[in-house]
Amino acid sequence: MSQFSLFLGKEWREQARSFKLVWVPLVFIFFGVLEPLTYHFLPQILDSVGNLPEGSDFTLPEMTGADVYASLTGQYQTIGLLVLVLAFMGSLSGERKSGTGTLLYVRPISYAAYYMSKWTAAVLLAVVSLWLGYGMAATYIVQLYDHVPAFSDMVLFLLVLAVWIGFVVTLTLTASSALPTGGAAGAALGILFIGMMIDSLVGTYWTWSPWKLQAYGLAFLTGSPDSGDLAGALVMTAVLAALLVLFGILQARRNAAKAKV
Amino acid sequence: MNMVLEVSGLTKQYDGFRAVDGLTFSLAEHTATALIGPNGSGKTTTLSMLAGLLRQSSGSIRFSGTGKDPRSAIGFLPQYPNFFPWMTATEYMELAAGLSGMGGRDVRSECEKTLGFVGLGDAGKKRIGGFSGGMKQRLGLAQAIIHRPALLLLDEPVSALDPAGRREVMEMLKELGESTTILYSTHILNDAEEMTDQLLFLRGGKLIEKGPLREVREKHGGSGYRVLFSGQEAAERFADAVPWAASADGSAVMISGETVTMEELLRFASEHPAGITDIGRTAVRLEEIFMKVVGKP
Repeated sequence: MSQFSLFLGKEWREQARSFKLVWVPLVFIFFGVLEPLTYHFLPQILDSVGNLPEGSDFTLPEMTGADVYASLTGQYQTIGLLVLVLAFMGSLSGERKSGTGTLLYVRPISYAAYYMSKWTAAVLLAVVSLWLGYGMAATYIVQLYDHVPAFSDMVLFLLVLAVWIGFVVTLTLTASSALPTGGAAGAALGILFIGMMIDSLVGTYWTWSPWKLQAYGLAFLTGSPDSGDLAGALVMTAVLAALLVLFGILQARRNAAKAKV
Repeated sequence: MNMVLEVSGLTKQYDGFRAVDGLTFSLAEHTATALIGPNGSGKTTTLSMLAGLLRQSSGSIRFSGTGKDPRSAIGFLPQYPNFFPWMTATEYMELAAGLSGMGGRDVRSECEKTLGFVGLGDAGKKRIGGFSGGMKQRLGLAQAIIHRPALLLLDEPVSALDPAGRREVMEMLKELGESTTILYSTHILNDAEEMTDQLLFLRGGKLIEKGPLREVREKHGGSGYRVLFSGQEAAERFADAVPWAASADGSAVMISGETVTMEELLRFASEHPAGITDIGRTAVRLEEIFMKVVGKP
């Protein structure tokens, strides 16, 4: 059996036995259910718990299916990313700190197989969780809203978001490879949120960036994205992710010496 | 004799601190070598460099006949082995075997055999998180030997065990020593005395004494003789009469082995037999040598 398969089997077991395989998808599913229900029943919610003065009258905009997906994407951009970073921030650094990595590093292992097995397991879990969240949202959106996006647009949207989530997980794993767990979380979240800030400030001039992917993905639901910019952003994300993977593998090898003995 | 490992000028330098300073030694095939020294003397750092965990600042480590990656010929047991608590012992052994390059159908039976050898035959399906310290130490030994390494590096292999467990593990190591070269650090000097072909004394990262136990003993007080008497008075009379360095200790007289041979002692005893009940050899204990060698400022 190849080292990659051995490591991947280990990662799979770890995700199952630490219940990561359960709680990460559950968080995404929870928001996927909550978002369409909240918007649909907002008038009733305000009536019953809003504690508004007598005679208050609000006109709420009519939400389309695409609007709810956009709002859910906003939730996933904050809470979703936070959950993913927290779930994977100790993937490599935790094994160094606890000393569980020591008995792996003294064997003739391939650090590429070691890193890539973690990457594969983490990206799969993150992307499937994301898709389950949107899938759950779709079941309610189809029932409760008009103007539901076409299935083919939905697929394209989910594929583009999967690339973005893959980038987020890669960044987190590489940070975990290079830094202690706390530093990894700080670095990953810092880079992600600083990137978002820069995107919101000068995003118009920064069209080929991973941070643009969620906007380009959403454009499939609301109209059609600029295919040139989307392709540019996808290529840029792939190149950055590949560089991060390479750096992560080198750091995993270099930092093996820091494992607790 | 074939050398398994040759170390020359091995040094590990940290910022402003030299943890290991110019170690030179070699390990012959199928021998057991004890690395002895007080806390902070560089034992763990040395073993970590040999295991490939740490890169040396200078010096060379040469393994013979180990192929491309020397780590495939090494088994390593840290002082406090840490395992994935959610794994079972058998799963861990299979992972260790696979990562060491073992493959095929026999892996599972090899794992079970090795777990049986270290006394964990019934614990294979249990999660490691529920293991006691002693069981973890045994599993640590099992994962270190699963791939039948040419060189076994053990950092304080029995320090976490109770006396019965220590005895069992020492017996296992002796059995392994017949087919494997062992380098182990210890501060339990009785164990070192029991299973050692060569001693390496470390202090402040430097190798301050090395050699076979017999040679080291001879160098630091060597052996001597103990003559037992029926009473203290007879012992004191004998101690006064002998022409060599001797001291009475209750009903025994201790005579330094540096000044007299057994033949001379027996001849003298036959001429002065009063009260003698037993004559035997004594050897200076390793603990005394340790204090002499390592305790020097």
